[in-house]
Amino acid sequence: MTEDRLIELIEAWGADPSAFPEAERAGAKALLAAQPERFAHALGEARALDAAFACMPDIVPSPALTEALITSAPKPKAAAGGFRLPKFAPWAPASGFAALAAGLFMGVMMAPVASASSYTDEVETVLEQALGYDLAALTEELVQ
Amino acid sequence: MLADRSEAEDVTQETFLRAWKALPGWEPRAKFSTWLHRVALNLCYDRLRKRKESLPGDLPDHADTRLAPHDALDQVQRVTAIEVAIGALPERQSAALTLCALQGHSQAEAAEILEVSVEALESLLARARRTLRAQLLEGRTSS
Repeated sequence: MTEDRLIELIEAWGADPSAFPEAERAGAKALLAAQPERFAHALGEARALDAAFACMPDIVPSPALTEALITSAPKPKAAAGGFRLPKFAPWAPASGFAALAAGLFMGVMMAPVASASSYTDEVETVLEQALGYDLAALTEELVQ
Repeated sequence: MLADRSEAEDVTQETFLRAWKALPGWEPRAKFSTWLHRVALNLCYDRLRKRKESLPGDLPDHADTRLAPHDALDQVQRVTAIEVAIGALPERQSAALTLCALQGHSQAEAAEILEVSVEALESLLARARRTLRAQLLEGRTSS
């Protein structure tokens, strides 16, 4: 890790080293610890921007939008034959669907969410339930 | 990305309508949420381009988007300044920043949604943040 590279990382990913690419994280942390004053200015500017982003309010989709999305969703239908591909399950997991709609809506509106990974996990779960099969498991089956 | 609730709702609905149509023939080549974000992103790009086409030719050089000092901070003004500054970025920079800095997507997820490498994503983010730093923080220490 060079000083120039660390400056590039801070300018692109912000002041928190946990946001840096994983392969460079340890080297960046070590250099930051060794020469804190060298990077103080870049970190200060990055923190100011990070703080500005963090102050953006959460945006909640309206009940009307959520209702419209649920209404527009395909209705459950019977699976054909023995093959268990697209077999729509009822949209029982309302919280998951809300996360799906809210996460996408917030992205469109440009507002932060606390945890994108938990959101995307929940999205996958909802979609798996909608499709009626586990996407990852199906992929493995097809490969075999 | 759109900074307009009504338009965002329209795009969200259109995205889901496309998802519902695609579901019966869906093949799990990528995460569905990634595909969904790509659809939403492309719809946002379309809207942003239409906005540009319909805008009058003579616009102010740029609005004053500097953030007020924290002790005099008005939250609404602050949020508006950030929205305006991000909205003025080139669309791919705006999208990269929205996915990573605002939505908290991982580098891999954001790069996949944008269909670029992580290195290209980093370049987009660096340019976006450089512009925002100049617009939002410039003069802050002297005010």
